[in-house]
Amino acid sequence: MSSSDAHAGHHNPNLAHHFDTIEKQDHAVRLGMWLFLGTEVLLFAGLFLGYTVYRHFYHDAFHHASRSLNITLGATNTVVLITSSLSVALAYYAVKVGKRQLALGMLAFTIVCACGFLVIKYVEYAHKFHVGSLPGKWFNDPSLAKYPGANLYFTVYFLTTGLHAFHVIVGMSVLLWVAKGVYKGRYTAEYYVPVELGALYWHLVDLVWIFLFPLLYLI
Amino acid sequence: MAHAGNEPTSKAESHAGTHGAGRYFVIWAILLAFTGITVWTGYMDLGSLNLPLAMTIASIKATLVILFFMHMTEAAGANRLVFSASFIFLFVMIIGVFGDLWTRNPMTLPSSAPSTEGPEIEVIEAHPGPAPSHH
Repeated sequence: MSSSDAHAGHHNPNLAHHFDTIEKQDHAVRLGMWLFLGTEVLLFAGLFLGYTVYRHFYHDAFHHASRSLNITLGATNTVVLITSSLSVALAYYAVKVGKRQLALGMLAFTIVCACGFLVIKYVEYAHKFHVGSLPGKWFNDPSLAKYPGANLYFTVYFLTTGLHAFHVIVGMSVLLWVAKGVYKGRYTAEYYVPVELGALYWHLVDLVWIFLFPLLYLI
Repeated sequence: MAHAGNEPTSKAESHAGTHGAGRYFVIWAILLAFTGITVWTGYMDLGSLNLPLAMTIASIKATLVILFFMHMTEAAGANRLVFSASFIFLFVMIIGVFGDLWTRNPMTLPSSAPSTEGPEIEVIEAHPGPAPSHH
């Protein structure tokens, strides 16, 4: 943004009336997003803390319970999320350099990856329900009955992956909304901050999974 | 202060468009390689080293995502501060609680309770009917 834009700021349709310039608005919304992402880290921190405590209490039970997870499906989901992080970064880049078609393609690919992640997660959850590897008092898996604390592993498993899956759904919706804005020409090389913020949220979803995967599947 | 911190950012951001998309593919390839390494070492039995190794790899991956996919290298100082602060408090919380667990007498841990507790639960579950008749 040049200084002439700043003077013409009030004519910019993307500038809210309570900001003097688009630069100040961009700074404020970016700070707001990073603050929100910080609270998201702290939200998951509580669950990671619960994991730490219960794993220390029931070390062997957690080890044996984690063996019942399918590492191939977990690793596939890790690859899916990392690849979707790449595609959303490319979508952001494409909007910035004015390649609208590429941006839409990359956003669509990211949303497909998100759906793929949820399908694989559903397959895993369906198996857990089938064998009775459920949280707390619903735990009913005979193969793990001799390990007290295995039910707590699945409590932590369903809480962490469930909250994460919810974030995947929210992230998908945000990216769908961003894609609509790109399609309608609202977000362009001149005004791309909403695309940047949507991409940041999606990267956070990837970030959480990067820690969840080894802690749940590889112990 | 905040304004001064914002100045270099807008310059950096104007450069950001010129670094090209290739950088994202390089980071992606490194992330996939580390995923492969963490799965491979996850299958190995390294005893107490498994967890620190897995967490080290996850931290490297997270750092790459934050710095390059999330463009933390180009973010304003205030944004870096608020996001980093959340990780500092995460570590304070984990280290504080784990310090307590780590220094406890093992006898006080639920997993060290007398082994009779396990079968007892199974007996109750196997015969839910007769249990009340004892009283």
